[in-house]
Amino acid sequence: MAAGWADKEDNELLALIQDGNGQAFAVLVERHTDRFYRLAYRYLQNRAAAEDVVQDAFLKLWENPALWQPQRHSKFTTWFYRIVVNLCLDQHKKKKPEVLDNDALVADDRAPTDELMMREQEQQMVEKEIAALPERQRTALNLCFDEGLTNQEAAEVMGVNLKALQSLIMRAKTTLKERLKA
Amino acid sequence: MSDNRDEKLETLLRSRRLEPASADLAQRIILKARQMPQTTIPSFWQSVRDLFGEFHLPKPAYVLASALVLGIVIGLSAPQETTLAADDSGGVSIQGFLSADETLL
Repeated sequence: MAAGWADKEDNELLALIQDGNGQAFAVLVERHTDRFYRLAYRYLQNRAAAEDVVQDAFLKLWENPALWQPQRHSKFTTWFYRIVVNLCLDQHKKKKPEVLDNDALVADDRAPTDELMMREQEQQMVEKEIAALPERQRTALNLCFDEGLTNQEAAEVMGVNLKALQSLIMRAKTTLKERLKA
Repeated sequence: MSDNRDEKLETLLRSRRLEPASADLAQRIILKARQMPQTTIPSFWQSVRDLFGEFHLPKPAYVLASALVLGIVIGLSAPQETTLAADDSGGVSIQGFLSADETLL
């Protein structure tokens, strides 16, 4: 990939995509696919489904680049997170998330020890409890803890004010602590 | 105690496991996009220009001049008494005109 392309800001790439530039689209996809996949995976807990959501989101943008309106949307990633979250929620409504498949998890070469198994169980419990949280609380957690967005950015993605977001996170954490203690 | 639990929860939340995406996911998306046409929504002015484009005249000045000349010719060749007089005393009356027509039949 030419250095010039890699240096371009998302906004510049989007303007080029609106002129039908496939190279700009390729750069944008390569730059952000992993980040949006991560978020989709958190919702769907399934690799294929998460990949489909990311693909659909990008293809929607390619098919109809006028969806991106620079004067209305402050930042591409903030706007696109919202699109991915909405697609995930749609998908989630259609299909119940699959239970974590042990084979699907990242392979660990070390011999299974009690500690590892315990951690494994803990992780599975956390995933289960997060999946049981109300939709907005789950979204707030995913955005702030997984994506590393600031509270302000996460609030923008969710279309709520900062206080509302903090309250969602607080409630989610309280619920999780209660449930994990039990 | 509560702080410990908070910390532990945050650690758990930050170390959630993730199944990595296929290595070729980005390439797959790019390839798929290449096979899809883009749909663009034209702006208002673009739509207006397109509309006028439909009625595009190759030589507008000639067409306008021809239309003007044709209008003058038609105007001059029209009969002088085309309007019906308010009173039927002068000129051609409708009644007379119709009855003249009927006599032919």
